[in-house]
Amino acid sequence: MKKRVLPLVILCLSVLIAVGSQTFLSPCVHEDGSFGACHWAGQAMLGLGCLTAVMGLLLLFRPGSRSGLFIAAAAAGVLGTLIPGTLIALCSMSAMRCRAIMQPAMTLLCCLVILAAAAGLILEERKGGRKP
Amino acid sequence: MSAAGLPFKNLTRKPGRTWALVLLTAFLSLSLFAGSVVVMSLQSGLRSLEARLGADIIVVPAAAKTKTDFQNILLQGTTGAFYMDAGLLDQIAAAEGVEKAAPQTFLATLKADCCSSRLQVIGIDQQADFTVQPWIAQSSSRELGPLEVAVGSDISAGVGDTLRIYRQSCPVVARLSPTGTGLDTAVYCSMETMKTLLEAAEEMGVSHKVTSDNAEEVISAVYVKVAEGASVDQVATSLMSHPRWKVAVVQTRSMITDVSDGLAGVASAVKVLIGAVWALSFVILLVVFALLTNERKREFAVLRLIGASRRSLRRLILTETGLVCLLGGCLGIAVGAAVIFLFTALIESALGLPYLTPDGGKIALVAVLSLLGTALMGALASARTAWHLSRVDTGSILREGN
Amino acid sequence: MSLLEIKNVSKIYGELKALDNVSIHVDQGEWVAIMGPSGSGKSTMMNIIGCMDKPTMGEVLLDGVDIAKESSKRLTDIRRDKIGLIFQQFHMVNYLTAVENVMVSQYYHSMPDEEEALEALGRVGLRERARHLPSQLSGGEQQRVCVARALINHPELILADEPTGNLDEANENIVLDLFRQLHREGTTLIVVTHDPEVADAAQRTIVLEHGKLVKEVINEHFEA
Repeated sequence: MKKRVLPLVILCLSVLIAVGSQTFLSPCVHEDGSFGACHWAGQAMLGLGCLTAVMGLLLLFRPGSRSGLFIAAAAAGVLGTLIPGTLIALCSMSAMRCRAIMQPAMTLLCCLVILAAAAGLILEERKGGRKP
Repeated sequence: MSAAGLPFKNLTRKPGRTWALVLLTAFLSLSLFAGSVVVMSLQSGLRSLEARLGADIIVVPAAAKTKTDFQNILLQGTTGAFYMDAGLLDQIAAAEGVEKAAPQTFLATLKADCCSSRLQVIGIDQQADFTVQPWIAQSSSRELGPLEVAVGSDISAGVGDTLRIYRQSCPVVARLSPTGTGLDTAVYCSMETMKTLLEAAEEMGVSHKVTSDNAEEVISAVYVKVAEGASVDQVATSLMSHPRWKVAVVQTRSMITDVSDGLAGVASAVKVLIGAVWALSFVILLVVFALLTNERKREFAVLRLIGASRRSLRRLILTETGLVCLLGGCLGIAVGAAVIFLFTALIESALGLPYLTPDGGKIALVAVLSLLGTALMGALASARTAWHLSRVDTGSILREGN
Repeated sequence: MSLLEIKNVSKIYGELKALDNVSIHVDQGEWVAIMGPSGSGKSTMMNIIGCMDKPTMGEVLLDGVDIAKESSKRLTDIRRDKIGLIFQQFHMVNYLTAVENVMVSQYYHSMPDEEEALEALGRVGLRERARHLPSQLSGGEQQRVCVARALINHPELILADEPTGNLDEANENIVLDLFRQLHREGTTLIVVTHDPEVADAAQRTIVLEHGKLVKEVINEHFEA
């Protein structure tokens, strides 16, 4: 039971990232069908969310390699904080949707993923240390 | 095991109860911290607006919506353009009671795609200007040259970047410090640059001519400083009622009053919210601690009989509460800080008021005060429990059921 | 030399005389049982000797100090320094492990010393169970932890209230054997009980009835 809490948290956050990037946290509202860079940042977040969701599922349902999966999830979280704004430029005005809503929301969600993964890793390592 | 060991152990062995208390105290510090920072940001936004307006009266063309448009440009960072004959400037400058008059000309850029929003370009007369110039001077020591622009802090372009405005390449030479107002989303240039841009816009079919007159040059607003001893109201009335000028006036004082009224509204809503959260939490904490009193009577009787003094029991409870408040307080502040700082732009646009986050020192102070407030609340709520428990009748409790 | 000297002590609750002019003396190193039916005043006696209550009248000299006249803060000190208490209902701190329960007592007395606490648990045969929580221990084991806790600070007096009341025979014997050991080491023991077998283990039995001392019996077959 206790082992499942953190993977479940990661899974939920991942779903939020993936679904959010396309819906309520999406970078732009398309009025004229043109796509800017921020749109592709949103698409990248969709992919990243799916990736961490798979990690969450593996942690939930497959025994073994838990530490590695937690490390990978944390790394993906770091990538997620970098995609909107740093790796992919967003719109120029800070009041625009991509910078007012998507970027901070994604940063927050990814930081939570990192925290959950770090906590999971620490617990995993401590457990491993107790019974070598 | 040490003095801190006992309360710590009690907390870790009852994780459910401890987390519930931590979450409750986190709400306390979150509401206090986030609420205070928002109100402080609004206050510094208002101060910054006052500083940036710096004029007594602003004269704009008398068309139906220009006054609202102008206020929205200043407060919310929307785009807009309206024009009047540049010749009016000299007449206004010469009017009675006017000490200084400085023109500004506005131009809104076109929206190219989803990612380039319309920019508000503001041309200033660098000799006459007394409102924007001092602000630009904070970031750049020299005047803006031909086609050079300074950008507000909400625009992501940096010094060295080039903005394309109506097919003209405009190098960014300064980034201005944030004001929390709509001015942060604008681009500033000299009047000469503005002329070039207006012509470029004309070529692309964007008209900026004053419809009725056949003016050669246009301006959008005139910032007026009223002479010492003259009445702002009277000057405003006389400018507005001039038979041929067809202008409207915005008195900055009334604009600031509007903003500060809005601020007062938000501030009182925040206060009510904080009050409600605190009152509710206090009641919950009191109930929780009262329940704990009963549950823990026996435990404290045991501690008493193995030699704990009343004082050390009181200290034990207060330490436990302190640890919970510290953890909850820090958690609440961390969550509050994350939300407030990440979503600044969203909060700003949702409130529709000048919003300028105060500097780090002030925020750290608010954080410490929020933590202290939370700890005080915890201490108050547990004080009764501490008192009761330290006074348990050891013998009778331990012999119950004999 | 007497460790405890109770002189003409009465405890009155409103109309009820829980103790009525009782005088008892207990020598250093002696093992005394206090017997009597419920309502006889033995609980009140236990509370007074254990510094948890004060008599209405009379003197209670513990090691030469009249505890009837001391402040409640001083009573806490005296209890901590001189008396080890054992109750019928074990009374462990339920969020602490066995060894931590013993160490709390050390902490309030002087300095926690885990090695010494583990040794004390070893004496009651529970060294292996030192890291268990009370909920993971049987009643007998909990009572033995309480014995270890009572003796950890080397009290001059061990005061036990129905120590075997909730125990099966095997555990009762373990606890009584522990008492015998303590007695051999020179610890003074006062055991309040209504169980004649437990009383028989002591050197001397004092019988209370309706708050009065009615009988004092020396145990002829007492073996140290």
